Amino acid sequence: MASRGVRPQPRGKPSGLPFHAHFTDVATHAGLRAPVIYGPKDRMDYILESMGCGVAFLDYDNDGWLDIFVLSGTRREGPVEGATNRLYKNNRDGTFTDVTAKAGLVQQGWAFGVTVGDYNNDGFEDLFISGWPQDILYRNNGNGTFTDVTKEAGLLHAGSRWGTGCTWVDYDRDGHLDLFVSHYLVFDFDKIPPAGKNPNCDFKGVPVNCGPRGLVGERPTLYHNNGDGTFTDVTEHSGIGAVPPAYGLTAVAADMDGDGWQEIYVACDSTPSQLFHHRGDGKFDEVGLESGLAVNQDGREQAGMGIAIGDFDTDGMLDVLKTHFSEDTVTLYRNTGHLNFDDVTLRAGLGVETRFVSWGDGIADLDNDGLPDIFWVTGSTFPEVERKHPEFPHKTPRVLFRNLGGGRFEELLEGAGEAIAEVHASRGLAFGDFDNDGDMDILIMNINEPPSLLRNDVSGSAHWLKVKLVGTHSNKSAIGAVVTAVYGGRRQSQAVMASSGYLSCNDRRLHFGLGAVATADLEIAWPNGGRETLKGLPADRLITVKEGAGVVGEERFGR
Amino acid sequence: MTRIAAAALAMVMALAQAQAQKPGAEAHLGKGSQLMKQQLFDEAAGEFEKALEITPEDPQARFQHAVCLFALGRNDEARTEFERVRNGRGESHYITYYLGQLDLLSNDYASAIKRLSEVAEDPAFPDAPFHLGSAYISSGDVENGIRWLERAVKLQPNDYRVHYRLARAYSTAGRQPDAGREYGIYTRLLREHKGTETQVRDCSDALRARPLADAQVVCHRMFDPNDPEKLTLLGQLYGDGGAFEQALDPLQRAAQLDPNSYEAWHNLGLTYFRLQRYKDARVPLEKAVALHPETYDSVVMLGATLYMLGDDAAALPVLEHAHRLNPGDAQTEAVVKKLRAEFTKK
Repeated sequence: MASRGVRPQPRGKPSGLPFHAHFTDVATHAGLRAPVIYGPKDRMDYILESMGCGVAFLDYDNDGWLDIFVLSGTRREGPVEGATNRLYKNNRDGTFTDVTAKAGLVQQGWAFGVTVGDYNNDGFEDLFISGWPQDILYRNNGNGTFTDVTKEAGLLHAGSRWGTGCTWVDYDRDGHLDLFVSHYLVFDFDKIPPAGKNPNCDFKGVPVNCGPRGLVGERPTLYHNNGDGTFTDVTEHSGIGAVPPAYGLTAVAADMDGDGWQEIYVACDSTPSQLFHHRGDGKFDEVGLESGLAVNQDGREQAGMGIAIGDFDTDGMLDVLKTHFSEDTVTLYRNTGHLNFDDVTLRAGLGVETRFVSWGDGIADLDNDGLPDIFWVTGSTFPEVERKHPEFPHKTPRVLFRNLGGGRFEELLEGAGEAIAEVHASRGLAFGDFDNDGDMDILIMNINEPPSLLRNDVSGSAHWLKVKLVGTHSNKSAIGAVVTAVYGGRRQSQAVMASSGYLSCNDRRLHFGLGAVATADLEIAWPNGGRETLKGLPADRLITVKEGAGVVGEERFGR
Repeated sequence: MTRIAAAALAMVMALAQAQAQKPGAEAHLGKGSQLMKQQLFDEAAGEFEKALEITPEDPQARFQHAVCLFALGRNDEARTEFERVRNGRGESHYITYYLGQLDLLSNDYASAIKRLSEVAEDPAFPDAPFHLGSAYISSGDVENGIRWLERAVKLQPNDYRVHYRLARAYSTAGRQPDAGREYGIYTRLLREHKGTETQVRDCSDALRARPLADAQVVCHRMFDPNDPEKLTLLGQLYGDGGAFEQALDPLQRAAQLDPNSYEAWHNLGLTYFRLQRYKDARVPLEKAVALHPETYDSVVMLGATLYMLGDDAAALPVLEHAHRLNPGDAQTEAVVKKLRAEFTKK
């Protein structure tokens, strides 16, 4: 991670327009009270302790209500009581029950990323967790329990590796979810000097943890799903292994150019980010530079942390938002077609915010006005610095930019609820509608604190539509599908993804705010190449679409 | 006071930020210019504000103030200041150049294109075609964007950023072979840029911690006989490390390669001065002062050099000028008084 000394753009005059989303942190009331243990409380001696982990919204028991999965770290000194990844079951009344032990998911260690997908097509969502020194695959047994099948699946790797970004992706369109894992760097507590022991590791004159610069980067790994519960490492054969080592973090997969094959994009820290374009023959080319997604508009790599994929300008093409270090901007890339992306950060008005180290992010319509907004969480990696430089605090607020239309955004410093201004050292985040009331809530991982659960209460009369896809020829989770909603003269695309934000995973159900419009058409591009169009769907409901069978379920819920 | 002692003290004072008791506007201007050169724009803006308190109508102070605000990203304030200068003194390419960039930063592409087009052919603004090309690209006019960015890479052939922007424009236009060529140049230049950053760090560390002979081996890695900027940097690093003899060769080469480089001439003169080779120091410092007549460091150094050479008649007006630029330099003031007294006696 490195800052680039970028100064913020001046803030313009506030638009004064009302914003109808309001966020309240209801984590305590909801029962999310266990702190996420991640290294020492007041310092971060090693870079491993500073990176934090992801969270996920998933429906592990298929009851139609989102459950919560929160990853965890530990402490170097030894096991910490209560430090474990945690699964919380949704009680359908705004509260959750910790079912970690019952589900067989108690695990203490250094977890980083999570990807949710039904890799064995049995109708239940499975969990893959990246970590150091090993990753873990949990198969969902369909009865509320999970089994660690890492070894029998062939995913136990030799030696220690630091897995970070991970995503299910059916790259060869055979109907079975394959697995992509990015790696940050070669890490060993005994070989990397802790903070204060290496004079070259300092920030603003304060000794801090070393890295990533000066440490050895890593290449990603691609595993092919054999369709029988096992995986084969195809990193070299697929061309994924041909890239130079980098400091890989969040990895996402989506069909960004509409050719029916998914790209894989990896946010890399202090090295150019990587875009793997599938040729259609099982092999990938890395085209980050040519696409415009490797670096910013000045040609410089940034401290890539989190990635959001969405269609901010509602032109029917998937755009990209990537988060970075403080004294730098996030970067918003506009998709201009044919896998070409323009850095429109300054044009969009996002250059006004450079104060915070930024992590999990999302492009999501938070107020249902039909225009996707931008949200990200923040938090320093060097808590020691705050004592000498109060202007670099450890805990920092959330950032929300409302979409003004016309490709422009406006930062809302207030007016969206007190939860936005609350300060934490946050990392992962996931979007989802946990209370099934027709808006997007937000789950956030905070280092050494309980997670935040930001309940969104949208006021006004704006409409919305939720879409759940079920694959038949395609993978059952429909990961890789792209849905384009056509409403009120707009075309907004969203992708069904298994990873997003920072090392996290969103609600699989796609949520489209529609504004004043009460119906929408849907164009669905299924992962296996099939296309389907649904006309005149009424708003304010969740529809379930089965591949080849059209709408098979409809549920009205809301405020 | 001996001549050597006086000159040495003057030099020390030239390198220090002398505090004036009651400086006039000219002193604040000189100090502000000095701080700008060190890229301390916040502090420089403060000096120009003080100058403007004394002489509010001074267009030079206001213009420099505006440039500092621009560098600090205080764009709205910068625009107001530039417009005040324009209202007082009329249009000038300098103001148009900055206002054009401010237009670009505030996404007013039509105005940016209009203004930057007016200065794009002016050799005083070699990066104007880059900004103009960027404005065209942002406005969606890729064809004109490419036209100006192609001009920009000719004017700034070693700037990786310009080649990257042109490569992206070619990509957008679907001109993949051209894009590939520019990506290649960008990649090479960026690699060189990063390599230089590493070499500078290594050389600096070696000069600080290792014997000179060993350090020279490390520092020689950044020796490029065809790159005046890199040669100047190498000379500065040697000078900062106290290796003055080693600094001479790269600085001489840099000044020959780029006779308009103030940095090369100033550092060459400074190095000769530190070696007490005053005769050799004179010409480089005269060239540096000719290029930057308001930069106190060079002016006082030239004055001290002339004084050491015994050319008091030439030294006095130069030191007087230095004293006006920085009235807080007591040693310079003392030498000026002494010389004036001597001339009065004669």
